[in-house]
Amino acid sequence: MVVRSRSSRLLRTFAGWAVVALFAFPLYYWLTVAFKDGNEIFNWPPKVFSFTPTLKNFEEVFGISLGFGFGEQREVLPGGGNWRMGPRLWDSIVIAVLSTFLAVTIATLASYALSRMNFRGRHHFVSWVLSTRMMPPVAVAIPVFFIYKDLKLLDTYTGVILIHALMNLPLAVLLMKSFFDDIPREIDESAMVDGASRWLIFRRIVLPMVKGGIAATAVLCFIFSWTEFLFVLTLTQTGLKTVPVVSSTFVTSTGTAWGNMAALGAAAMIPAFIFILLVQKHLVRGLTLGSVKQ
Amino acid sequence: MATVEYRKVGKSFGSVEVLKDLSLEIEDGAFVVLLGASGCGKTTLLRMTAGLETVTAGEVVIDGRVVNDMHPRDRDIAMVFQNYALYPTMKVRDNIGFSLEVAKKSKAEIARKVEEAARVLNLTEYLDRKPAELSGGQRQRVAMGRAMVRDAKVFLFDEPLSNLDAKLRAHMRVEIRQLHDRLGATTIYVTHDQIEAMTMADKIVLMKGGKIIQEGSPDDLYDRPNSRFVAEFIGSPQINLLDGRIEAEEGAVRFRARHLVLDLPQAYAAHAGKAVACGIRPNDVTLDPDGAITGTLQIAEKTGADVQFHLDVEGTEFVAVAPRSAYRHGGERMSFAIDPEKLHVFDEASGERISV
Repeated sequence: MVVRSRSSRLLRTFAGWAVVALFAFPLYYWLTVAFKDGNEIFNWPPKVFSFTPTLKNFEEVFGISLGFGFGEQREVLPGGGNWRMGPRLWDSIVIAVLSTFLAVTIATLASYALSRMNFRGRHHFVSWVLSTRMMPPVAVAIPVFFIYKDLKLLDTYTGVILIHALMNLPLAVLLMKSFFDDIPREIDESAMVDGASRWLIFRRIVLPMVKGGIAATAVLCFIFSWTEFLFVLTLTQTGLKTVPVVSSTFVTSTGTAWGNMAALGAAAMIPAFIFILLVQKHLVRGLTLGSVKQ
Repeated sequence: MATVEYRKVGKSFGSVEVLKDLSLEIEDGAFVVLLGASGCGKTTLLRMTAGLETVTAGEVVIDGRVVNDMHPRDRDIAMVFQNYALYPTMKVRDNIGFSLEVAKKSKAEIARKVEEAARVLNLTEYLDRKPAELSGGQRQRVAMGRAMVRDAKVFLFDEPLSNLDAKLRAHMRVEIRQLHDRLGATTIYVTHDQIEAMTMADKIVLMKGGKIIQEGSPDDLYDRPNSRFVAEFIGSPQINLLDGRIEAEEGAVRFRARHLVLDLPQAYAAHAGKAVACGIRPNDVTLDPDGAITGTLQIAEKTGADVQFHLDVEGTEFVAVAPRSAYRHGGERMSFAIDPEKLHVFDEASGERISV
């Protein structure tokens, strides 16, 4: 235990809070914009704490009435932006959850094989998988558009889920492989000698040990899909749109609807936050503790 | 229970040949120790027996069946790993019972066998703990329990005691041997510790560079090492080796290393003139003022009942063991005598024992 003087402890505490404030302030300001009326957003000097909160922006974005003055149920903003973002939020959730599930499932199975099984080209496989992420996504977007057109996957959940899962797979495989590599091979071998089949070893012994890794990988995949813009923009038209793409529709020919955009952004944070919170409790280290003597 | 046989077994990892043309027969119910320094191929041989390494040449035979291409789970073997390899997410109870569960035994039978194993291994009160909540010795016992419940044909141990402290190791040696005597299963035990080998084995197989150097009972290896390497490997404190020559003069056969002259049995007369290394076990000498081995005492170490004298004999370090009562301080001249029958003579060039 290092003994520190009172003043140095105070300084550390202060520095800690200062850093937190630095990172938290933009988020806070973004949230205040969501709760401000149109004119207050542009006040100078900006009203950071003393403003009259209103849910008007949320009413407009989700096309509901909470008693803050939103009456007309307009479909389209004067400049071309969309109302009624509720279904778009739902699109985002469906795509992010399912593409994450798909990517994590495939990555877990694939990386276990890469980590444990001997087959030709095993060592080149990982770099090959990774290389698919090395070109800029925009280079892929147009070819994928034409492929999707032929496969009738344009403007469908399946299409977007597939492309998001595909984009996530290389990193997910790499990440999961490192978690499997951390598990001593003797554990598999011991179970093999105990009479277990490969599948049983995977399911009963190894999978519970990489729970933390799966959680970490899922968080990364989810965030990617939740914020992905390019592929949703090119591969969908009217059938579905995710939050990042519809947010851009608030930038219209007659101006940017900052309040609406902030309201949608704030609302969009909630599902992502819930997902990460649910997964976070599995993000524990040391699951292999006690298995082998190191 | 089963016999295990290796027929001209070889193993290569790429261009590295780890085992060469190795043949060995292990009797039903025997406790065989594969002994050797790290890298000698002993663990590889064990893993090939378990089916965890492929066999690149020859045949591994268990109970009369060639098992080269048989999956580990079909070989009916139990193995204890050096690092225990417990299943960290399972309780001790489920760790021990896993193999039975896989074999689809009834719940009642699993519970009975697990509890029986836990009783024998003093693990009853820990059955509902996870491996992380156990001490090293307890984890080791869980690993043994996992092997025990199997009723396997062959038990394989891969340096199971190397992570334990000295006291626990001595205790577990006895437990493992008792376990073997009770179960009567064929056991192959890998270690680099010659004390473990000497205390536990029915038969020791000493390996070096992927080959068997000598196999036999602990007494065979201790009393009649077939080479200088074996003599140096077996026995603690290590055997003393003095370099010199065999001389036959006036009807007497002697070993001479500069001023040191030791009588040899007459049978060595045929090897007169040969450059040899003479091995003398520290426990075989007796303190004797008229003894032929004379040197200057460098240091004396008390080990309890005995004292180990480290002497300078003809410029070579020489260790002698004597009862504690003989203790004295460094700097003195001391003499020891030895029975000629207890000398080990090795050819200087080949290192092989000169048998007479």
